[in-house]
Amino acid sequence: MRQAGIYSAILPGGVSGKAGPHSFPLARIKKIMKKSGDDVKMISGEAPIVLSKACELFVEEITRKAWMMTMQGKRRILHKEDVASAVIATDIYDFLVNMVSDDHSANSEHEGLSTTPAAIMDLER
Amino acid sequence: MVDHHEHERLLPIANVGRIMKQILPPSAKVSKEAKETLQECATEFISFVTAEASGKCHKENRKTANGDDICWALSSLGFDTYAEAMLRYLYKYREFERKRINQSKLASNQEDDQASTPTSGSNGRSNLQQPEKKCEQTTAITFEFGVLEKGQSSKTN
Repeated sequence: MRQAGIYSAILPGGVSGKAGPHSFPLARIKKIMKKSGDDVKMISGEAPIVLSKACELFVEEITRKAWMMTMQGKRRILHKEDVASAVIATDIYDFLVNMVSDDHSANSEHEGLSTTPAAIMDLER
Repeated sequence: MVDHHEHERLLPIANVGRIMKQILPPSAKVSKEAKETLQECATEFISFVTAEASGKCHKENRKTANGDDICWALSSLGFDTYAEAMLRYLYKYREFERKRINQSKLASNQEDDQASTPTSGSNGRSNLQQPEKKCEQTTAITFEFGVLEKGQSSKTN
């Protein structure tokens, strides 16, 4: 008997057919966790659940900070540069510095994301 | 040189986009590139915290990284507000799981009782009511927690 009310209360989006009770799919989180290093042997069932929530908070916070940069520039579109500015301005985001710089080859694990100079902006509400 | 299975190594962009949309004002727009960057950052966050947590487990000769280790790692890496919030979240999750397991145990016990002795069936019924009540309480606490969570976001600066 699944008590959907518990998790839907915790999440802003609530329970939907697609989203499920957590912010991110737990299986995907587990996959990422297992790839994170050789030390990772076993993961308890609750760890991905906690990380899903923590990651939600993280995305919220960095988005908020990035948006402040957007507003400083008197714009209404949040660009990658705003995310980069937020990362650079925040000490605890130092682990992301390579990720937001233009030089993607700096971090060999994260190559593959194509950022063409003429990046097409997909404006979404 | 695009890795066609790349989408499997990252968190889904739809989930990332949804969280962003909920945080931003209705008139705000997000470029596709910004969303992709956040997708990468969020994925890296998971790896980063996990590596820290499992490093600790490794040092302590423990095989399994649990929720407490994740909370410790969050704090260790400077995400103090997350660590505090997650400890509360973890506590409530464990409470919920415990009650859920107890309730299903009681339900199966009651079935056994009713099958064997009809007179003890009423006892089983009253036992069953209490866990349900407590589950409601858990829901109420979690609802409260959910509301606090949103309000608390302003403190994370």
